[in-house]
Amino acid sequence: MMSLPEGPNESKLQQISRIRIDDSSRVPVSLWFASSVFWLLMGSVAALISSVKMHNPDFLGNIEWLTFGRIRPVHLDIVFFGWSSMAAVGCLLWLQARLCHVRLPWPLLLSGLAMVWNVGVCVGVMAVLAGHGSSIEYLEFPAYCAPFFAIPALGVLAANVKMYVTKESQHTYVSQWYLLAATVWLPILYVTAMGCTYFGLVQGVSQAITNWWFGHNALGLWVTPIAVATAYYLIPKVTGKPVHSYHLSLLGFWSLAIFYNWAGTHHLTGGPLPAWTITVGVVGSMMMFIPVITVAINHHMTMRGVFHMLKTSPTLRFTVFGSVMYTVASFQGSLEALRSHQEITHFTQYTIGHAHLGLYGFFSMIMFGAMYYIFPRITNNEWSSARLIKVHFWGSSIGVLAYGIGLCWAGWWQGVMMNDPAIPFLDTVAYIRPYLIMRSVSGTGMTIAHIAFAISVWRILSRHHFVMSGPTLFTTTRPAWREFVNEQEKREQAELEAQS
Amino acid sequence: MFLISMLIWATALLGAVMTVWALAWAVQRGEFRNLRQGAASIFDAGEPIGQQTDFFPGAKR
Ligand code: HEM
Ligand code: HEM
Repeated sequence: MMSLPEGPNESKLQQISRIRIDDSSRVPVSLWFASSVFWLLMGSVAALISSVKMHNPDFLGNIEWLTFGRIRPVHLDIVFFGWSSMAAVGCLLWLQARLCHVRLPWPLLLSGLAMVWNVGVCVGVMAVLAGHGSSIEYLEFPAYCAPFFAIPALGVLAANVKMYVTKESQHTYVSQWYLLAATVWLPILYVTAMGCTYFGLVQGVSQAITNWWFGHNALGLWVTPIAVATAYYLIPKVTGKPVHSYHLSLLGFWSLAIFYNWAGTHHLTGGPLPAWTITVGVVGSMMMFIPVITVAINHHMTMRGVFHMLKTSPTLRFTVFGSVMYTVASFQGSLEALRSHQEITHFTQYTIGHAHLGLYGFFSMIMFGAMYYIFPRITNNEWSSARLIKVHFWGSSIGVLAYGIGLCWAGWWQGVMMNDPAIPFLDTVAYIRPYLIMRSVSGTGMTIAHIAFAISVWRILSRHHFVMSGPTLFTTTRPAWREFVNEQEKREQAELEAQS
Repeated sequence: MFLISMLIWATALLGAVMTVWALAWAVQRGEFRNLRQGAASIFDAGEPIGQQTDFFPGAKR
């Protein structure tokens, strides 16, 4: 038998309990994560096809189901429902279990729900490719797909609430507020929006408002809080440094929860809406400076003095990159909501640049970081190759910076040119084309990064490269502890049997 | 129609009211007392403050 590391009894019990909690989420969390990585690859293919079509419209031009009007929403829906949401659920389940100090409830049910969600994305994508999309952005999937998302969303909410009410930790950590809010919001948003748009309750302008109330909040109150929660856990956890100001973190959460919900109409600035509705959106967007500044200060100050760890920790690299991009994308977003700004940028590639700085630079990078932390702990295995991780990091970070900054720059001038009646429209097209080609190039880099990541994930899951000890796993903890965890489990099992 | 078109705003308002209610509930439960300890609640004797917990595979520590 291996010898147990030195230390007081209490710390041994804590270690054992942490390992058992991680173990409990192995199957469901691996399933949500692995599915999300699969969809990330599919989404990248759809992205590259859409991207090439924008500078070479004839590319695959004679295949009906790959026309831009279908493949673009397919990209959007795959990366939103398939990649982002599934990664977010995996993260949420693991994190909430850890923070509540309880084992993940209903592992079989939660795994089943992942499969239901996957079927929903499959069916929806096929429907959109076949031309049955609704053309309401983010709600393109036909109405019959709704149960495939609504039911799992309710299941995840139930699991989340169950963990919270049975929690054994005394304190509610700031991340837990974010996670609870996100799971409460998603079913409300989705069911209300689908109900209103598909059953004809709202039409015309009201439909557009409903559409963007959903689209905006799906970003701001579903995926954003989960990524912020993850960063609030992982940055301190990896560096071993508590959050700089816990007061600020709580102020940040509650102000986000109160203000974000009001900002949806900033997507419709300049549209035929009553002016006050847009003003509400603009004011909501300005108020967002508060939560964003609190997160920025907190994460930066927590990192002070430990920046050197970025060299040695893959999780930290991705997570800190994502946090910085949260500040960047959100500052940009608040300014972008202003009417004077929208006049220039609304119909341009600027919006697309912002979208990728946000959903990719911020959200996706934090999810990558989280997966680098979580997978080894739930599979009890080590990542197979540091080189693959580095390819992933550099491909995606350089890729998204080139994409985001390039298109925001070009989009701004595209807007200025489009607003000038003296400039023929075709000149604006000629101006933007090289930047669109640049996007295909950076998108290729990002896709290579995703392939490297998928290989790593495949290897860690298939145990292609099985190592139980290693730096990520902490030689001092995991392998040495395994026997004690098993022993403890046997003891409890025996006690249970004796009782019955 | 006007009433229905206000539905979304009503849902938004409901969300805000729920949030404020949750905040009041949390205050009452004393969630915001002892914040310094709160920040340290993710560490324990097994993974204490000051210990880095993630490294590249194969890296020497
Ligand atoms: C304070 C924070 C933010 C504000 C005020 C904000 C504001 C905006 C505005 C005004 C637009 C509309 C642009 C247009 O249509 O002309 C927009 C679009 C978008 N934003 Fe943000 N943003 C913020 C943060 C974020 C974050 C953190 C993310 C990523 C999770 C994000 C993702 C997106 C996406 C994906 C779109 C494109 C939506 C579409 O047209 O499909 N934003 N944002
Ligand atoms: C592999 C790299 C990627 C490339 C080359 C790419 C390319 C594209 C293209 C060409 C569009 C359509 C732009 C337009 O209609 O003008 C688009 C839209 C979008 N993509 Fe990506 N994408 C990539 C990865 C991602 C990822 C991973 C996410 C999410 C996590 C994402 C989220 C979005 C969103 C939300 C939109 C809609 C933006 C809007 O309407 O404002 N993309 N992307």
